Amino acid sequence: MHSGAALDTVVTAETPEGILLELRPAGLTVRFYAFVLDWIIRLAVLYSAAIAAAVMRGLGMAFFLILLFALEWLYPVIFELTPSGATPGKRAFGLKVVMDNGLPVTAAASMTRNLLRAADFLPFLYGFAIVSILLRRDCKRLGDIAAGTIVVHERRPATRTALEHVDPVAPARALAPRDQAAVIALASRAPTLTAERLDELAALAATVSGDDGRAGPDVTRRVLGVAQWLLGKR
Amino acid sequence: MMTPLRFEQTYADDWAELERLVDAALGRKTGAGPAVRRAESGARLAALYRRACEHLALARARAYPPYIVDRLEGVTSAAHQLIYQQHEFGAARLKQILAVDFPRSVRHHRGYVAVAAATFLVPTIVIALLVYWRPELILSVVSSETAAQFEEMYSSSAESIGRTRNATTDWMMFGYYIRNNIGVAFQCFAGGLFAGLGSLFFLAYNGAFSGALAGYLTERGLSSTFYSFIATHSAFELTAIVLSGAAGLRLGHAVLAPGRATRGQSLVAAAREATVLIYGVTAMLLVAAAVEAFWSSAQWLPPGLKYSVAAVCWTAVLAYLSLQGRRAG
Repeated sequence: MHSGAALDTVVTAETPEGILLELRPAGLTVRFYAFVLDWIIRLAVLYSAAIAAAVMRGLGMAFFLILLFALEWLYPVIFELTPSGATPGKRAFGLKVVMDNGLPVTAAASMTRNLLRAADFLPFLYGFAIVSILLRRDCKRLGDIAAGTIVVHERRPATRTALEHVDPVAPARALAPRDQAAVIALASRAPTLTAERLDELAALAATVSGDDGRAGPDVTRRVLGVAQWLLGKR
Repeated sequence: MMTPLRFEQTYADDWAELERLVDAALGRKTGAGPAVRRAESGARLAALYRRACEHLALARARAYPPYIVDRLEGVTSAAHQLIYQQHEFGAARLKQILAVDFPRSVRHHRGYVAVAAATFLVPTIVIALLVYWRPELILSVVSSETAAQFEEMYSSSAESIGRTRNATTDWMMFGYYIRNNIGVAFQCFAGGLFAGLGSLFFLAYNGAFSGALAGYLTERGLSSTFYSFIATHSAFELTAIVLSGAAGLRLGHAVLAPGRATRGQSLVAAAREATVLIYGVTAMLLVAAAVEAFWSSAQWLPPGLKYSVAAVCWTAVLAYLSLQGRRAG
């Protein structure tokens, strides 16, 4: 899981218990989609408010202008301080805003990151924000850097490995912990791979079941059987 | 020998209980039995959380299958958020900020406030004198139509001071001032991120513009309406703009001279301090918008009364910023 560190953008945050929490920063594209969705929502609210304001004249205009202010500056703050920690747009794409240490975003941090939007927007159309998100491994815009926040993908629980139908096979040789982990990881990815690709990958690991140099569905079943054995089914 | 499956069988009950408690605390539907009492469940949750942390460390070190590690990561990170989250907003916190933290923070940052005030006031005075001396210079700041509009807005025959004839009610102007002025203040703050240059620019720009307007209208003999208009709300508005500029300069200084911290750490610390200023600035600008819309613009109030109230407001604001919250622990 940690072997891909050089390629992966995972950011770790340490808890007081010494556990490293893994945060997965959200990149430019998904944040752009979320932004567009939020923008459409705000536009729809403004549009209906404009109709109401036109009927109510002066007081309506005041209401409209204050709403304009609130949607411009406070809309993200208010939604980020809800338990979901995300605007409706972000929530729709499974994103949320958290502090660098993985905790829910604080009021001060949310204010900071959203007021600094004005700086991110420069020189035009969020130019600095885009450059900053593209350049940084943790995909922060300027407001995130100053506030100590990070936009992350919400965690999606991994599904349990479905290996019930495979008979356990004792490994042909003693396996180092690294090798054990690789075989188990292969088994958990099995449901997401095509049968041919799974056979190819299993052929690479065939030494664990003593099938060196051979390939095919039978070898695959035996390699997965070793994984089953390693998991504890004897 | 402890295999992944045995590990899971041994501790799954703990994990499930922790998951139930987390869900209950977050107000999610659990479908389990009656809700446990809060204090008890809190202590239990903390104990289970620590145990799950140990299990996660073991599972990672022994490279157990991803579904076990993921389950533990999910439940520990949710419990971690519950246990360590800070509640820093609410009425009590707001009162603390306005009664103690904000004025104290202004005094703490007096150097930045002085620089921001000078950056705003020097262009104001210089440009005002220039335009007073040579009124045609106003045309290098605004177009001739805008200049004529200003004259109309502040003429003694205007229904309400400070607005064009077709701008309708006090309420509408209240909304306009909120959107416009608070936006300007936020810009002054955000501009500070660029080594403070943005804050300096917006301060000087707004100062120069106000100066040009003041010089021009004074030269036109409209000083009584103009100054009686701006006297009261400027106590809140100009101070707030200067303070937001000061907050921006704090950010800029942190970026330029981070001291012994990294630039990032220094910026985060500066932003945390500056936010307190921004809370206060926002409150002051809300007051300013209300005063400007409902009091300053009233043509029927005698200028003498307006100047007296303005003097009270200026004294109150300056006293608040320099004295409030000195005694509090």
